[in-house]
Amino acid sequence: MRHSHRRHAGLLYVLPALLFVAAFVAWPLLQLLRLSMTSASMLGPGSFVGWNNYLKAFRDETFWQSLAFTLQYTACITPILMVGGFLLALLVAEPGRIARATRGIVFLPVVIGLGSSSILWVGLLDEQVGLVGRLLVDLGLVAHPPVWFVDAELGMWAVIGTVVWKVIGFGMLLFVAGIQSVGIDVREAAMLDGAGYWQRVRHITLPLMTRTLLLTTLVSVIGSLLAFDQFYIMTAGGPRSETFTSVYWIYQNSFIYFKQGYGAALSMILLAIVLVLSSVHLLIARRGAPA
Amino acid sequence: MRTRNLVRRALCALALAAGSGVALPALAAENLSMWVRASGANAAQRLTDLWNSGHADKITLTVIPDNQVVSKLANGVGAGNVPDLISFDLIYMPDFMRAGFLTDITDAMKGDPNFGKVAKAFAELASYKGRLYGTGFTPDVSILIYNKDLFRKAGLDPNQPPRTLAQIHEYAKKIRALGPDTYGFYFSGACPGCNIFTTSPMMVASGAKMLPAAAGDEPLAGTGVKEVLQLFRDMWTEGLIPKSAQADNGANFVANFKSGKIGIQGAGGFLIADLKKEAPGMDFGVGFLPGTKEGQASAFVGGDVVAIPKGSKHAALALQFIKWELSDEAQLEGLAKNNILPSRADLADNKYFQAEPRVVTTAKALGIGYVPWVFHFNDMVNSDASPWIQMIQGAVFDGKVDASIAKAKARMREIAAE
Repeated sequence: MRHSHRRHAGLLYVLPALLFVAAFVAWPLLQLLRLSMTSASMLGPGSFVGWNNYLKAFRDETFWQSLAFTLQYTACITPILMVGGFLLALLVAEPGRIARATRGIVFLPVVIGLGSSSILWVGLLDEQVGLVGRLLVDLGLVAHPPVWFVDAELGMWAVIGTVVWKVIGFGMLLFVAGIQSVGIDVREAAMLDGAGYWQRVRHITLPLMTRTLLLTTLVSVIGSLLAFDQFYIMTAGGPRSETFTSVYWIYQNSFIYFKQGYGAALSMILLAIVLVLSSVHLLIARRGAPA
Repeated sequence: MRTRNLVRRALCALALAAGSGVALPALAAENLSMWVRASGANAAQRLTDLWNSGHADKITLTVIPDNQVVSKLANGVGAGNVPDLISFDLIYMPDFMRAGFLTDITDAMKGDPNFGKVAKAFAELASYKGRLYGTGFTPDVSILIYNKDLFRKAGLDPNQPPRTLAQIHEYAKKIRALGPDTYGFYFSGACPGCNIFTTSPMMVASGAKMLPAAAGDEPLAGTGVKEVLQLFRDMWTEGLIPKSAQADNGANFVANFKSGKIGIQGAGGFLIADLKKEAPGMDFGVGFLPGTKEGQASAFVGGDVVAIPKGSKHAALALQFIKWELSDEAQLEGLAKNNILPSRADLADNKYFQAEPRVVTTAKALGIGYVPWVFHFNDMVNSDASPWIQMIQGAVFDGKVDASIAKAKARMREIAAE
């Protein structure tokens, strides 16, 4: 009896959270699922079409091409953000005025919106009026200012450069917190045992901040899988639709072609893919993390 | 019984008041709501301000971000909560009329003396199955713009814009020869909207028919399409166009021209005011977008239409506003006085534009302009993956002119059949 009472009390405690999740996650998700099974358009409610939108999605070459491009982009940018963020964190983790100032400077672009920074970089990277091309020519690195977005590969790397500039400070900050959470006593003990700087980083700091590393990687991977703004503004999916990301293609269908039902089906498929990848990531993390 | 008494008393009071000469209070003034897309907000504000200053019934504007107009109107119609008037990108007119979002105003506009003077493109676009659902509001139109300073340096007559496609090519070559940083021609090669606005009129001027109004119609019909694409291809391979054009998704549609290094390009009437403000030292001229032969010219009529959404609570008053906005007063004092093009072609040459002949040319372009009457405009043209932009890129940058046209035709037919 007492046990049951306690269980009810526990349920009461989690009820607000459950209600929140039900109202803001489960219900919209169910609505999305319902929408994905209709031919709804912005210009009319449409009718029930069952799994037709999903079947259409499996035949939609541009969707799978955009997914492949999104995975390629994620695979390229994630290591740069992780390794770069960690190295920067090592540089600025120690207390000191210069370290604090550097931390602030590297973090500064994080507070700019991704849309604003993308617009800024479109101008800076332009062949005719941009400063980057002119700088490269003046430094003698290239004969003519490059046209960055004329080639899908080059365009992707240009976007990666701008996104790294924009978000690396966020990873750095998380890593700084991870590094600082490693006890000074452990590090001192390693020093007394004669461990050098990189040995301490490899055998002490890294293993003790595994959870931070995994969390930061997960956040970065999900962010990259949902990339939209930077490609919408900088490449517009070009050249020849080669730089459409999955979300960009969903946006095209839902809001440009007005096909809301089909867009919802694509969203559900992407959601499933992100969910599977995140689950795999978490499973690996759970196995690899110290008990 | 009681109601009947009340009515009788009211009628008596009315009769007494009329007989004694006592002024009755006016009927309460109404407040109309109007939605306008953000890019047309300035012009709409000028017009509604003028209306509000002279009418008891007032109009309140709500500015809607451009990309939200369709969803807002669709949701509003569905929920029975729509504004009394709406102004939106004219290209959505066919889709909105077919979806049943708009009120039929045919009978009311039939006898209106000003309606017949509105640029033809607006009247055609706002008609569906022989019925009228809106009219021109705040137009913009495409023109050819050229740098007179570069024309002079290249030995060209600065008062003669190119009048054929061949002349564009010839002049562009001469301007390119001026130096490594100077280019003869520019267009935004990755921008579907910019190209339907500035490139398609050259095709239309050369006799092409662009987009299919119905499933059976042939898209991109006529030799004009190939002639223009071939011209662009030739100018591209000859280096007359900057390399950055290939990747420009519209972000630098006019930025390069403002730098003073571009000789000729298609643009919109809006650029005149822009250039005067941002490049005051530049001497530039405007002309019509030409076709293959002298005398051929066209333009793309853009801008906004005004209509009454189905379910408007003040439809009669909204109709009054629509009639008023076509009057001389609204067109001249509300638009032309503020350097905004009137939608009536007969007012192109007006007292306010006398000091700026380039605006007169732009206003005249409205009269020769076209706008495609087509469903699924976004799918066919405006989207970043549209067959229209794929065709331009394949033809101009890859050199596959015929294959690109054939591919675009096939895809457009599929879209038209949806």
